[in-house]
Amino acid sequence: VHDLKKTPLQENTMPQSNIRTDLRDELRNAPVEPLLPIEKKLIGWSLAIGLVLLVVLAAINHFFPVTPP
Amino acid sequence: MSDTTLSVIRAPSTAEPVALINEDWLAVILSLSIFILALAALVHVDLIGWVVSTSVWGNFGQALGPVSKGYAALGGLGALLATYAALTLVLSLAAAALKSDVRRFALAFTAVFWIAYASWIVGNYANFAAVTPAEQQKFGIDWSLKLTSEGAYIFAMLAGLIVANVFPRFAEAIKVAVRPDLYIKVAIVILGGFFAVTAAGRLSLATSLILRGVAAIVEAYLIYWVVVYFIARKWFGFSREWAAPLASGISICGVSAAIATGGAIRARPTVPVLVSSLVLIFAVFEVLILPFVAQTYLAHEPLVAGAWMGLAVKTDGAAVAAGGISESLILAKNAAEGIHYQPGWILGTAATIKVFIDIFIGIWAFVLGYIWTNHVNPTRAPDRARAREIWERFPKFIIGFVVTFLVGLYLALGTPAEIAKNVPAAIGEANTFRVIFFILAFFSIGVLSNFKALWQEGFGKLAAVYLVSLFGFVIWVGLVISWLFFSGIKPPLAS
Repeated sequence: VHDLKKTPLQENTMPQSNIRTDLRDELRNAPVEPLLPIEKKLIGWSLAIGLVLLVVLAAINHFFPVTPP
Repeated sequence: MSDTTLSVIRAPSTAEPVALINEDWLAVILSLSIFILALAALVHVDLIGWVVSTSVWGNFGQALGPVSKGYAALGGLGALLATYAALTLVLSLAAAALKSDVRRFALAFTAVFWIAYASWIVGNYANFAAVTPAEQQKFGIDWSLKLTSEGAYIFAMLAGLIVANVFPRFAEAIKVAVRPDLYIKVAIVILGGFFAVTAAGRLSLATSLILRGVAAIVEAYLIYWVVVYFIARKWFGFSREWAAPLASGISICGVSAAIATGGAIRARPTVPVLVSSLVLIFAVFEVLILPFVAQTYLAHEPLVAGAWMGLAVKTDGAAVAAGGISESLILAKNAAEGIHYQPGWILGTAATIKVFIDIFIGIWAFVLGYIWTNHVNPTRAPDRARAREIWERFPKFIIGFVVTFLVGLYLALGTPAEIAKNVPAAIGEANTFRVIFFILAFFSIGVLSNFKALWQEGFGKLAAVYLVSLFGFVIWVGLVISWLFFSGIKPPLAS
């Protein structure tokens, strides 16, 4: 199986049919990459910060409503 | 058979000549040129009043005309030919700057322009576009699909879809002029001036809406992205290289975000390219469905609908155009109930949300690049993410949007009354070009949407992530957030 991981950048000009075949093979045969601690941190911190900010913005929205036209 | 989707949105080959300027800056130059020419009307010099405008028509003779009465002698056909000639000339120069084959571009653009504009004219036929009973009476018709004038964008997209899926060789032949990103960026910059004129009358409302755009940034980057990334990685087993551009494509703003992320994490160029083609195909479905859903359920919350389009529809062009279609449909529905809202607010809200989200692409790409090159795949110091990439990945057309918005606002509010009263008409002429660039963008999005690509075996898994994330999460969370921050806010009534 042709492995796209080892494909140099210049091969972005390869024929479309090759891209499709490689995509199919790559996605079917790709080894599982478990979530790294840094990915878990990224997900956790982003969600936490996002939810806190949304609550803060919602509170601002509530206490400073839009002036009716 | 050629695959238009994949072949058009592809990473640049090392064999291709290097462009003199990138598409972002080109869009800024083109749109600011149109904006400046339009502003000459403030001193009674009408330089672009010849641009063609289309009205809802029952008799074809009524369909076309120059936007300014000063050029009435041109007639509708003359205005259309003048518009075609001017755009072909200017965009061919742009193609030369992008190091495209100018002759091929001009020929291809000829096809793009005439098919797109013809479909726009068809979409403005009274039986498709007339909305109110008064309009139906005016055109002597007893039924209408009530799609409104802006609904004609859908006709342009359908024409593109037919070209892509029925005539793929023709689609391949005109691909050099199929540039949705360029067209939509030009349109968005011009939209900045148009929105300024709309906002000038209700500055406090406009400011409040803009501030609420901050919520969109939080949602797109800190919530959407990580959830989609998690789904792609954990549920579908995608590698990091695929999951990151996919998450950006689905959650931020489609094509440009996928490409920026792919570059930032040093993915192979083919990865964001394939993700981008998927984004466009789903954007077509969203544009065809969501504005009508918004009209049905959000007609009495117009700005929620606008914000929802900006948050839920991916790619700038599709989002802003979905905002435009939603605005037309919702204003028409309210007009039928005797409520006449001022136009521009729903579209302006969708565009503002999108622009706010776009602003942070560079920063988010840098954050990802820093994590990837330092922790996920540690690389040598020279290859690590650098802060200057924030500027390199910043979508420059946003600068144009801000400039036209501020200039428009100054002209409307800060100039003597005799000048200020001419501002809406002057920017209205530029806005006619905005509509034409929207039409070109919509047709182009259609041409790039080859549904056969969806059936490729590898594509199916990517599409599944998109489907689950978009329809299971992104659309609904976007609706909740839009409701939370925009419900109860009504556009001003038309005077």
